[in-house]
This record gives sequence, structure tokens and C-alpha cells, in this order.
Amino acid sequence: MNCFQTTLRIKVSKDFDIQNIAKLASINLSEDEQENLAKDLSIILEHVKALSDLELNTEQNEIYIHPLEKELELQEDELVESLTHEEALSNAPESKDGKFVVPPSME
Amino acid sequence: MDIANLPIRKLNTLFNKKDLKPSELYSKIFDNAVGSEASLHAHLTLFEEENIKKAKESDGRFEKGTAQSLLDGIPLAIKDNINIKGYKTTCSSKMLSNYTSPYDATVIKKLKESEALFTGKTNLDEFAMGSSTENSAFGLTKNPWDTDFVPGGSSGGSAASVGARSSIAALGSDTGGSIRQPASFCGLVGFKPTYGTVSRYGLIAFASSLDQIGPITKTVDDSRILFSAISGQDSRDATSIANDQVDIPSDKTAKIGVIKELMEDGISDEARNEVSKVIETLKTSGYEVKEISIPIIKLAISIYYLIAPAECSANLARFDGVRYGLRIDGNTSYEMMENTRAEGFGKEVKRRILLGTYALSAGYYDEYYGKALQARKEMIDEFTRAFNEVDYLISPTTPTQAFKAGEKTSNPLEMYMSDLCTIPANLAGLPAISIPTGVTNDNLPLGVQIMSRALSDESLLNFSEIIEKEIQFDQQPKGWV
Amino acid sequence: MTLQPTIGIETHIELNTNTKMFCRCGVVDTEEPNISLCPTCLGLPGALPVPNKKAIEYITLLALSTGCEITTKGMFHRKNYFYPDLPKNYQISQFDLPVGLNGQLEIVIDESTDFIQIERVHMEEDTGKSTHSGTGRIESATSTALDFNRSGVPLVEIVTKPVITSSKQAVAYIEELRQLSIDLNISEGRLEKGNLRFDANISVAPEDSKELGTKVEIKNMNSLRSLERAIDYEIQRQSKAVHDGVEIIQETRHWDENKEVTSTMRSKEGSADYRYFSDPDLPNMYLSKEFVDQVKSSMPQLPNEQREELINTGLSLKQANILSKSDEWIKSLYFKVHQQTKDSEGSYNWITGELQGQMRKANIERLPEWFSHDYLSEIIDLIKNSKISFTSAKIILSQLLEEDSTPNEIAEQKNLFQENDTEKISEMVLQILEENQDVVDRIKSGEDKLVGFLVGQLMKQSNGSVNPGMAKELLLKKIED
Repeated sequence: MNCFQTTLRIKVSKDFDIQNIAKLASINLSEDEQENLAKDLSIILEHVKALSDLELNTEQNEIYIHPLEKELELQEDELVESLTHEEALSNAPESKDGKFVVPPSME
Repeated sequence: MDIANLPIRKLNTLFNKKDLKPSELYSKIFDNAVGSEASLHAHLTLFEEENIKKAKESDGRFEKGTAQSLLDGIPLAIKDNINIKGYKTTCSSKMLSNYTSPYDATVIKKLKESEALFTGKTNLDEFAMGSSTENSAFGLTKNPWDTDFVPGGSSGGSAASVGARSSIAALGSDTGGSIRQPASFCGLVGFKPTYGTVSRYGLIAFASSLDQIGPITKTVDDSRILFSAISGQDSRDATSIANDQVDIPSDKTAKIGVIKELMEDGISDEARNEVSKVIETLKTSGYEVKEISIPIIKLAISIYYLIAPAECSANLARFDGVRYGLRIDGNTSYEMMENTRAEGFGKEVKRRILLGTYALSAGYYDEYYGKALQARKEMIDEFTRAFNEVDYLISPTTPTQAFKAGEKTSNPLEMYMSDLCTIPANLAGLPAISIPTGVTNDNLPLGVQIMSRALSDESLLNFSEIIEKEIQFDQQPKGWV
Repeated sequence: MTLQPTIGIETHIELNTNTKMFCRCGVVDTEEPNISLCPTCLGLPGALPVPNKKAIEYITLLALSTGCEITTKGMFHRKNYFYPDLPKNYQISQFDLPVGLNGQLEIVIDESTDFIQIERVHMEEDTGKSTHSGTGRIESATSTALDFNRSGVPLVEIVTKPVITSSKQAVAYIEELRQLSIDLNISEGRLEKGNLRFDANISVAPEDSKELGTKVEIKNMNSLRSLERAIDYEIQRQSKAVHDGVEIIQETRHWDENKEVTSTMRSKEGSADYRYFSDPDLPNMYLSKEFVDQVKSSMPQLPNEQREELINTGLSLKQANILSKSDEWIKSLYFKVHQQTKDSEGSYNWITGELQGQMRKANIERLPEWFSHDYLSEIIDLIKNSKISFTSAKIILSQLLEEDSTPNEIAEQKNLFQENDTEKISEMVLQILEENQDVVDRIKSGEDKLVGFLVGQLMKQSNGSVNPGMAKELLLKKIED
């Protein structure tokens, strides 16, 4: 399917550091996974490069978050009861004395 | 006429006339599930016990004449990325295979108020990422028209269920076509409402600015009924909007456009033929039809596959084994999180998270995500210009008919390409519907997509119904009822 | 070469709204863990943020009070990083469009004022609380326990420009900021409760250098005292390094309260990549002129305005500063007493000195309900008119803290009125001289200091009721004769 190749400058990112990205995403990839995913991502990125080569007119401050340009509505500071203590902990993999427990977290 | 084939309004009339009881309907639906699930695997869980009770309560209301809602006693299948309190919501992922929701999504709350029944939760591509349901961690769903083929995705289970009549209608979610494409592959109506008209509170987020919940049904009217029941501004969702509908004509004074870029290379002959068929029908009825060009559509896939992964990389960061879901141990909490996410996420999910992480990372933001946001604004503007000329835009829903499992999984791009026609509506926040129009030589159904301007959902449904009436697609997959 | 320190301070202020920033769970102060939670602040799948209007009003108030420019079209951003006490593994914050920009805060050190430039004021949400088991120190913990009650509490972050040049300035800045947030009624300002938290960025460079030195961030300063000591220590450490030719590493260091040193935290290499992007769950936030004007109209008297008013009553800047940072009841008391007595020094000294001192000693936090400002005014007047001595006044005050009476009544009761009658005093003088002839002789021969002894004797005999000034005068006169 060739409908996406406009002026495609083929420039595969050689500095694509899959280990760094996996670290940022907090996913422990196996070596095989690293290789395969790096390959996949390269293919996809090569494709989307056509987009980054485009000259576009829109200013950064014209970007709307909402596709229909809705404005944020602020809500009144009024209490609404929600989860009970039990409900909050109902799916906890590990808990003790009402708190969620995890292995030690380093700063 | 088998009752499972009937549309909602007809069923409601039968209930009111006491010609049929909700418990009888549910019984039939459940039998269909029993008969089809082994081969189709549309549902992940069935709520049998609860429904027997609920159906009886519905019986009581119709007996006394106190039933208020059109959906009272109607069994609906719910995609398993929508929270129902007290039940598992797994998103078809190992990450959430043991997660029980402590709260209801807003759409579920509304449907409960309508006294609808929930058949159970349906299978999907993991975390709604995919176009075939092959990415489910719990096995793939088959297409009821031909079990060698996929039902589409990510709402494959919902579509297969309605197709096989193990539900009367279903809810799915649509981020890049995940309602419309499976509807097209399964010969059903699939409707993605205007962004913001249906609350996302309780829908497990994939891409926040693109996701919408919507119906998969046998008829346009059924979609209309469901849309009416689930839409409305929700104070729990800051992106939801008031459903202030804009009226546009659906009679022959309406102007129709065919999207040029979606009738060119990359679209199969079969898909093009379906569109041509609809165009001819409209012309015969006196509608004015012309070609409309929206050049930036050619970049839709690139824009989408930067925005959606970027948003999902952050939306899925909460899955870390700390407060719920899967936990794989580690010496430190960092290790625990890294191991949990390595084990809990499937390949496609990892791919998108990493792609999104990269697109947002230092040094690459402007080039990738920043650019995509700008291009998205351009696309919105181009659609606005198009809707100054026409009222409805027609295109194929999918480039091809359903494909076989395993056919598109070798190259990630191949699968992504199949979203070409559906993605633009998500990017621009527009309402879009797929209606079944024909069956290919392989006896697989295909649909045609219609889009209209934001907040013209009801007019779009009216217009689609007119086409539905003209085309008279009355086929269904054999052997399930 | 002389090295000049450059300091910037980042402060987080917890707002005392009823509910959290992005959900309507209550902001609670309790030891009971995990009791104020909902899907949003617990980071459950499918949950969505909805912003707190009051919090936005409060931050706008703070931004206006520091003369910031208000950003009319702002937005929220996701700051992405993984940590167990961050439920979504991203924090909703603001990146390049914060609520307030380019303000300043007037600070007072002794008798001079200065202005600290403020870079930005932005809105964000707080995290949960981690407790590390084992020794309580992170390095040797065996597990970490999490309480998410605090997760989602509104936080305002204020960042100064790098214009602070000493630990003294830093302390004065925090004191002023704290008082401002209390006067604006947006925070309780209790440092020990973590209502106000701060980190410092410190670098040193040669006096004449145009560039700044390497910046080091210091965390974990929990009081003003530790702020001061940590800054002093770090300046010293960096200066020594420069003089020794040792490179200063850009890093985050932890202030150790016990060892009184800063030490390297076990952090990742390089600076974190937070991958900021605009939060798709929160549309653009427009702060209209009406909104800003309304907030402006609710502005109370600011600390610097209070100081001006206080100075106008006759106090020094230093005194005015101390009062402006005192509890509301003290300020109010001062103004009332001053109005009645027109004696600024007297009012100031009695309130900040004797009254507060006695209350501290008696362990009283608030004035008894019968205690009126009139009493202090009365006491001050009685002293001014030499009716009572200073010592007697102290006694009266102490009594008033215990019983409901008036200064005149108590003075009457305890016979504290001063003797001012010359004749009566002269009589007593003669008696004292008679009883202490030997001392008189010694005075006559040059030992002037012993006059004080005789005055003391006179005071003793009269139970302190003689005007000491007059007593001394008459003694000397009689001795000469």
C-alpha cells in the first residue's frame, strides 16, 4: 500500500536506544524482545518520518487539547464520598495494617 | 422469526404486549451463547446467575406495566475494557486478569438505570490495541461468518457476539476504528459518537483524546436507542460535552461527498464497490453526490500512530503491580514494576508504549508528537472546510474484507494500514458510522462508512437509516441461532 | 578569589481546600491510612481527573498577591516518572503555561527590605506517602508501605529566580511566603505538618563571573533551621571544592539532619526525562478577566501592607515584621491597644514580650475569653502615670491570665499602687538612712554604687510600692544633707 509515501527522506535513527526507552517505560525487556521491538519501532518511525518532514502552519499556542476546542470546566470544592477503605484495598497484591506494601523503593 | 434476530424496539413491543417475556429472551440468548462460545470465544465471562434474577425482575415490570425504558430486559454484551462494579475487568490482559472493579463506568450506571441486562464481558485486543482481537491474552475471537477469519478489533468479541446472537446488541470502544471495523467485518452497524458525547469515565483509557464508547448493533435504530441511553455530559469526565445536537438535513437536500483519498490505492475493489453501490442508490433517490478531497488524510496513520501511543504510554503507566493487578516480585519496587510490566503486557502493547515513550522523549518531542498535534489541527480544519461544502462524507469502512488470523501479524505496519479509513474521524472528533451493505465473493460482509460534522450524531443516524432501508442488507452469519 | 553563592528555592504549598485537586475526595489529616480515596486519586483503570475550582481560585490569589502575570490560556501537563507513591506514575502538573509568571515577594531582614523575584507559580497534585520499614532509612529498608490519603491534594509550586544570595535571605523568603499563604487563607502554613515544603538549588561562582556555577539541588530540609544550616553547609562544601580544584557534580543531595551534612542521593545518572505533554483528559483552562477580577476583589491585606500600617503607628520595620508574622489575635490586640494608648513601643513590648512570655510559661495558647485589650491599655496607662511599677504590672498581668478582673481592681487588692507622695517617701527614706548608717558613711566617702543597695532596701520595705525613681532621688538628697 503506497498512499503514504509523500516526500520520504529515509533516515533511520541510528541513535535509537531501546534500552533507554524501556527504562523510561519501566519495562524489563529480554534481549530477544529488545532486538525485535527495536526493529519494529524502526520500521514504524521510518514511516512516520514523512510527517516530521512536513512544514505546518499551526502555532504551538493554537493547539487545543480537545478536538472540539472545549474549555475546561472547574468543579465546586464539595466532598463526594467514594471508595471505602476495604474497596480501595480490595485488589491489593500485598497490604498490611491498611497500607499497600511494596518492595523497598529507592529514592 | 427468531427472537434473537429482532431489533430492540420490536422486542420492547412484544414485551409490552406480553407476547414475549424478558426471561424467555434471555434464555434464548444464553442458549446461543452456550452454542457459540466454544467456537467463537466472543465472551470472556458470562453473567448467567445475575441475569436469571434480573430477567425475572424485568418480567415483573412488564407484567405490572411499570417498565419505563426501551432497554428494559434487553441483554447487551459489554467490551471488557468497561468497568462493571463487582466483576472482573481484564482488558484481555494478563495485567488485569484478577482485577475486580470497585466501581461502575458512567455508561454502565446509565444502562443499569435503563434496566438493561449485561450478558457478560467480551474479548478484545489487549487494552484495545489492535484490529483483529489477535492481541488478546486470552485467545482470539472468530468471525461468525467464517471462523477462519478474524472478527476485526479491537471490539472483536462484541461484534462476534451480536453476529452470533449471543447478545441483542453490544457496547464497544473506538479509538482508531475499533467499533466500526469489527462491525464492518461482521456485517453489523457500528457507531462512534462525536467525541465527548459519551462519558469515558470507567472506560479503561487507551488514547484519551481519541477514545469513545459506542454501540455495535444489528440495525441503525438499535444504535440510536443505545446512543440515547449512554450519551450525556458527565461531571466525572472533563472532556465530556453537552449533547447539544446540530440538525442537518437527511433528506435529498443533504449534500453528499465521497472522500477521494479513500477511494484510491490501498483500497480493495470490493470495498470500493460497496461505496459505489451506496452512491448509486443515493443518486437514484435524488441526492447530490460529489468528490471531496481531504489531502491530509494520507498522513492520518502517521499522525495517529504518534498521538495514540504517546497518550497510551502515559495511560498505561499506572499498571505497575502496586495497588492492583498482576505483581511479579523484585528486590526493589523499581524491579518489581519493571518485571510486572514485562510479564503483564503483550507484544503489541509493549510496542505502542515504547513508541509513545520515544515520541515524547527529550529531543524528539517537537519532531514527532509536537508535529502530530499540529497536523491534527490541520486535519480538523480540512474537515471543517469539507463540511462547508457537504453534509455527509462517505468512504469505505475498511480497505478490505476480514482477513485470516495470522495474516497481518508479521509486519506491524500492515495491521496499522487497515485503520486508514476509520482513523480520521477519531482525530477530528467526528461522529462516524459503519453500516453493512454487502457480502463479498468469499461470503464475508463489508460495510460503508459515513461521517458528519461534530454533534450531528442524530442526523447521521437518520441519514444512515435511510440508506439502510434502501440497501436492505438482511443477511446474517449462518448456524448460530 | 571570592566566591558568590547563587540560590533558588522551589516551594510546594498544600492548599487547604475541602477536596483534592482532581477529585472530590476530602483532604484529610489523619493517621488512618487509605480512607479518603476514589478511583481517580488511587489511579484505578478508567478513572479521570476533574479540577477543583477553589484550588484554582487560591493559586490565582497567590499569583496576584505576588504581582505575577496571570496566564489566561493555560493547560495541564503530565509529568511522567515511575514511583510507588505516584498512583498513575505521572503527576498532573503544569509545564510551559503556568498560572502565574514573573512576580516578586518583599522580604524583611532586620531593618531592611529586599525583593525576591519569582519565576513561576503553578498548580499540581500531591503524591501519596511512603513509609519505609526497617530502620526508617531508605537504604536499609525491607519494604515500603503506602498511604494514598494525600495523593491528589492540591499543591502550588512556586519557583524563585536564582537571586537569593544567603541562607538568611532564604529563611526570610520562606517566612514571608508562609505568612502570605496564611494571610491569604489558602494554607495553614504548618511546616511540621508538611503544609509548606521546599528544596534549594545552590551554586557558587567567582564574584566577577558572568556565568553561574554548577547547580546542586538540596532536598529533605524540614524546618527553617535545617534550611539555613543546609545552605550554609552546601555553600561551604562547594566553595572548598572550587578552591581545591575539585569538580562539582550536578546532582541532587540529601540534607542529613543528624549528621548535618548534605550527601549524594542514590539517583539515576543524568537528569530525568519527564516527557511532559499536555494532559488530554483536561481541556485548555481559560481564566477569564471576570474570574481574575473576582479573585482580586477577595484579596485580604497582605503582609507587606500590614507592615506599612504597623510602621505608621510608630514601629520599626523589624518590629512590624515580627508582628506581621504573628498570629492574627496578636496583630489584632496590638492595633486595639495602640489605638487606645497611642503608645506603639509600649503596646509592642507588652504584647510580644511580657504577655507572650507569661502565656508560654503558663502553657496557655490562647487568651482567656475574659481577657480584653482594655486591660493592657489600662496597664500601660498606669505605668505611664507612675501609678504602678513595672514589677507590679507583671504581677497584675499574670493575675489577669488566671482570673476575670481588671488591673485597677487587682492593684487595689494587692496593694500595688505606687507611692508617689514626696512626704511619705521622705519619711521612709529617713528610716532607711537611720537603719543603714554605716552604708551612708561609705557612700559619703565615695562608694556611689551602694546607693542602689539603699534603694533596694527601700523597695523591699515598701513592698515595691514606692516609685523607685523618686526613691533614689530623695535618698541622694537626704544623704547630701
